[in-house]
Amino acid sequence: MTDSMRCPVFIGTSGYSYTEWVDSGFYPPGTRTPGMLSLYADVFPIVELNYTWYQMVRAEAISRLIASAPKSFLFAAKLTRTLTHERDRDWKHELKLYREGIRPLEKQLAAILVQLPPGFNRSVQNRYYLAHLLDGLHGFPLAVEFRHISWARDSVFRELEERRITLVTVDAPSMPTLFPCLDVVTNPDLFFVRFHGRNLQGWQSGNIQKKFDYSYSREELAQWNQGVLKSLRSRSGKGLIFFNNHVRAQAPDNGKLLQSILEKEQA
Amino acid sequence: MQDRAIIHFNVTDFAVAVERIKDSSLKDVPLIVAATRASRAVVYDMSEEAYGDGVRKGMRLTLARKYCRTAQVLAPQPALYRRAMMELVKRVRVFTPLVEQGVEDGHLFLDVTGTHRLFGPAPYIAWRLRKQLQRELGLDPVWSLASNKLVSKVASRMVRPFGEYIVGAGEEQAFLAPLPLSMLPGIGPKEIQLLADFNLSRIGQLAGLSREQLQVAFQERSSSLYDASRGRDGSVVLPGKTGDEHVTRGHTFAQDTGMYAELKSVVSILTHEVGRILRQRGLLGRRMGVVLNYSDGSRTIRRTTHKGGSDNDFLLRRLALAALDKAWGRRVRIRSCALVCDRFLPRSRQKTLFVLSTPRQLQQEKVLSAMDRVSRRFGDGMIRLGTAF
Repeated sequence: MTDSMRCPVFIGTSGYSYTEWVDSGFYPPGTRTPGMLSLYADVFPIVELNYTWYQMVRAEAISRLIASAPKSFLFAAKLTRTLTHERDRDWKHELKLYREGIRPLEKQLAAILVQLPPGFNRSVQNRYYLAHLLDGLHGFPLAVEFRHISWARDSVFRELEERRITLVTVDAPSMPTLFPCLDVVTNPDLFFVRFHGRNLQGWQSGNIQKKFDYSYSREELAQWNQGVLKSLRSRSGKGLIFFNNHVRAQAPDNGKLLQSILEKEQA
Repeated sequence: MQDRAIIHFNVTDFAVAVERIKDSSLKDVPLIVAATRASRAVVYDMSEEAYGDGVRKGMRLTLARKYCRTAQVLAPQPALYRRAMMELVKRVRVFTPLVEQGVEDGHLFLDVTGTHRLFGPAPYIAWRLRKQLQRELGLDPVWSLASNKLVSKVASRMVRPFGEYIVGAGEEQAFLAPLPLSMLPGIGPKEIQLLADFNLSRIGQLAGLSREQLQVAFQERSSSLYDASRGRDGSVVLPGKTGDEHVTRGHTFAQDTGMYAELKSVVSILTHEVGRILRQRGLLGRRMGVVLNYSDGSRTIRRTTHKGGSDNDFLLRRLALAALDKAWGRRVRIRSCALVCDRFLPRSRQKTLFVLSTPRQLQQEKVLSAMDRVSRRFGDGMIRLGTAF
């Protein structure tokens, strides 16, 4: 068994509660929102919570969520937008609320995803803010996703490495200002991959339904597995992979497809 | 059945927010909006600062001024608030035709069920709209998302003056349980007091009572309290204004008239206007009333009802004329008349599986639909049925 095969990989999707996944057949006809997580957990071992980006996490809601999933099920939670995209409120207070809200998830929390907006470039002010933010989240497993190319520098990777914070590897359309797809490992405990789809036109349209409307082919995923994924697995203790191309249930289809490719390889 | 996705937007202290957009120098000043010239004026709206000092809506202005001495008092401008409300509605209607608005109070309910393929998940719609309203109007609404109006309204109350709250489908009862009874929409102070006598102060405690137990204390209110305490609310988002429980259209004659034919013609025209409003709002009217105001100052009101309700001008006209016949009798000239349509039912948006309408009814529907399109494009009164002449 090679090094890369020893690294367990958890595959899931970004969000699980989509009505269109019923229309598309991932959930059985008539499935309603409260029943979705347990059905999802039959297929995937982990989910990325994206509603935590839209609103501040609340301990009571998180507790209810945990209760509806198996004990072994894992979660990755996005950091709330008031700490990344819309920092017009007192961010220290927001951070305190987030830490308190996410606490019930601690045992099943695989990572907190700090997704930064495309406009968040490597300015002095932003570097200062990010350093304070990451300090404020100390103690939680963290993964940082940059969207601006200016962060693609060795000094940034070294800093993340020192803090044992994971740099998120993204698969997205190739655009000049977008952070590129890199197989850099900054935290040997964990790698974190997000598949956004490769719909360049959709990405530029500003329409979320078009942006993530993409289905990876078997060849594309097999190539990814042989290239970037193999490289990440050979240097990490554990890996998380999420498909964000949620439109028309392409994400769970692609997740299952990658799962089958990995199983085949394992066999 | 699909879970509904109801978004509630609430621009906190709407009148104050609009006044502050109009005059940015008012931004950091405590504000009270009240009719300053009235001798017994009451507070129409107030800013968070004034609220913090104890000022409340409906409080007498003299008392409010004592509570918040630094507050600047502005006279209400309903026309301005109405315009701001229209601007809000115009923007949210892009995402759904099912928009219910409060009366110049910054409250909007949106039913975005089934719009995900066009616009994405419901939280995304709410977030995107808030950004748009901030950017284009300078208003910063609180938003919440839930499976019904009742729960989304409570969720908005939880986060005001700013923020957002998503209550997942199936979590309604658990969400409401720890909240005080005063947070439950529709429950009155007397009912809260009665429940306090039973040592019940939380919504969860109320939900712990059976229908039979509630029946003993609340009789006919028991059923609605039973459902509300469990976060159940089947009410639909009705396009138009909340609490707008009737549609009225009136006409004043240039000269007082005693001619039945003239009156009949006016009633036909008014019926078409009422019918068009009902169709726009997706409502069926079950009762049609005719109000006749006589030249001697007296008034007669007569009504007719149709059990199933209708938005069809032809049927509404028959009802209106039947009411007119009932009202018509005095030998005194008439100065003005009005039509009042009420007791609404929501119109089903789903087509029936089998064709239940007669060919004539289908023809009528086509004619009305065409007339609505013409009226929308060229304005009211540009096209009328022959019965109006």
